[in-house]
Amino acid sequence: MPKSMGAVKQVIPAEIDGETDLAMDSHGTAGKAASVRKVLPMVEGVVLVAALVAPLALQDYLTVFATRVIILALFALSFDLVWGYAGIMSFGQALFFGSAGYGVALLARDFDITNVFLVLPAGTLIGLIFALLLGGFLLLGRHPSSVIFVSLGTLTGSYAADRLARGWYYLGGQNGIPSIAPMTSGGYEFSEGPAFYYLVLGILVVVYLLCRFLVRSQFGLALAGLRENEQRIAFFGYKAQHLKAIIFAIGGAIAGLAGSLYAFHEGFVWPNMVGVVVSTQVVLYVLFGGSGTLIGAVIGTVIVEGVSFWLSDNYRDVWPIILGLLLLLVILFRPLGLISFVLGERERVGSFGASIKGKQNGAP
Amino acid sequence: MANAFVAAFEILSFGAIIVLIVLGLGIIASMMGIFNFAQGEFVLLGAYITYLAYAKGLPIWTGMVAAPFLVGALGFVLEALIIRRFYAAPIVAMLGTYALGLIIRESVRGLIGGFYLTVPEPIGGSIDIGTMHISAWRFTIIVVTLLVMAGCYLLLSRTSFGLRMRATLENPSLARASGISTPLMYGATFAFGSALAGLAGALIVPVFSLYADLGIRFLIQGFVAVMVGGVGSFIGPVAGAGVIGTLSAALPWVMAPVVADVLVFVLAIAFIKFRPQGLIAGKGV
Repeated sequence: MPKSMGAVKQVIPAEIDGETDLAMDSHGTAGKAASVRKVLPMVEGVVLVAALVAPLALQDYLTVFATRVIILALFALSFDLVWGYAGIMSFGQALFFGSAGYGVALLARDFDITNVFLVLPAGTLIGLIFALLLGGFLLLGRHPSSVIFVSLGTLTGSYAADRLARGWYYLGGQNGIPSIAPMTSGGYEFSEGPAFYYLVLGILVVVYLLCRFLVRSQFGLALAGLRENEQRIAFFGYKAQHLKAIIFAIGGAIAGLAGSLYAFHEGFVWPNMVGVVVSTQVVLYVLFGGSGTLIGAVIGTVIVEGVSFWLSDNYRDVWPIILGLLLLLVILFRPLGLISFVLGERERVGSFGASIKGKQNGAP
Repeated sequence: MANAFVAAFEILSFGAIIVLIVLGLGIIASMMGIFNFAQGEFVLLGAYITYLAYAKGLPIWTGMVAAPFLVGALGFVLEALIIRRFYAAPIVAMLGTYALGLIIRESVRGLIGGFYLTVPEPIGGSIDIGTMHISAWRFTIIVVTLLVMAGCYLLLSRTSFGLRMRATLENPSLARASGISTPLMYGATFAFGSALAGLAGALIVPVFSLYADLGIRFLIQGFVAVMVGGVGSFIGPVAGAGVIGTLSAALPWVMAPVVADVLVFVLAIAFIKFRPQGLIAGKGV
């Protein structure tokens, strides 16, 4: 666990590793920091406007693609909450995404339930329950679990779910569940296109705002503290493990919501959706965009998916290699993601106290 | 009787394969504290080198001998260039090695395409014991695994290289003060672990044939085995690999394979949850 990541550390003069210098440094740059304070809302606004007008500018098949990207951005948001804010490495986020997808697919196939007001809450609930079960098991207990155990535990959970889905005839085995009926609301059918796009965008905006409120609340502050120094948060009297389990469950619920939207949008679910491939994909999105900022997760998803879509015609084989190289470069040299090119450290952390400054190394 | 024997042999041979793969993973995890996500791709590279030797018309065993050295050399270079930066942060190390693995895997996929390429066994045929036949190559794998295991153990416990390696693990600053070059030791350990993965890949490619996702298949099983066995020693991961390998080969004989597959993971995670130090706790060989 990198201990010196950007930070909600209260600067105590006697702190080790030269934080006094840094604190003075932050006073020195305070004027500059104040002038660049408003980058985050600007970035968020630009992304929102771009998302709103996108279907007008795009051809139909691109709108379908954009819808998928927005759903994946919602999924990325769930991972960003868990990793970027609380510092829980969930390598199995697809477990909640995919199981909700399978759940709503079964609802549609076996019970003919496709009403949007039923399936989306159902998917969210499935994600929530799975995350509560897995998170409760991995995170709670007499002894705090090591970060390695949690990351490998979630990875294993996702892998096991993948194997189960592949081998279980009821879930369609290797082929998954094809041709899911479209989502409905009364007599209206949500098929791919602008209507579906705006529905998904609306959900993303609502969830985004909720998350934004959450991470800027006292709860979010405690989470960030958890990421920086779990022991200290525990000494402050917080129940660190409970906080982790709660945010893990919230992340699972959002992933479940995204998964149920994805299932209806694509019209089919298949074992990869719960597996390691999708789990690591969402890690890529968030690391690229910048973990620890909500908009970073969205931007990362748009960039990775956009470029991969754009390159897929000519450079299909080379793209994963480039992706790996870029990821390596980002991890080595830009641990805070692409968003850190425009977003200052001070603003990323947010202003909770009087003087806040963290070093810009280590990756959340 | 004959069936039971064949089953026992199958279980033993799969257990040996898992042990072989976990050896390198376990050494890197125990000695350096890094869970190397690229380990599966080192296995893949070992398999690919063997395939290349075969495709170029060389005897297959030349590829098998070359694989550990080439993969070990690559491991040494990667450690010096990249892995070295990750020691302070285990999670970042996971992500970084994952990225490395992605690069290697996709490069190999680009080279071989989406095919399953078969490599014949250098020692073909079967060994007949009475009316029972067992694959000669699988038997060879068991023997080689035992030899490599014994070799690693002796290297770590009896040689001065092993002593320095363990000293570096236990107390890096004291090791440095005693005149041991710790960066070199880390490099050598990582190279050694990678070489073992290369060897594993070279040996198993005739059994599983070569495809780009060959390494991934074993990676998670390997991680679970290391955790079950206990990080920090050489024996721990090997014991864990024995247990996991045996269980995953044995359970399908008594229940539906799908259930067995998942059950192994569930059991393993539950075991680690309640015994985080693993089967064999503590540092040492």
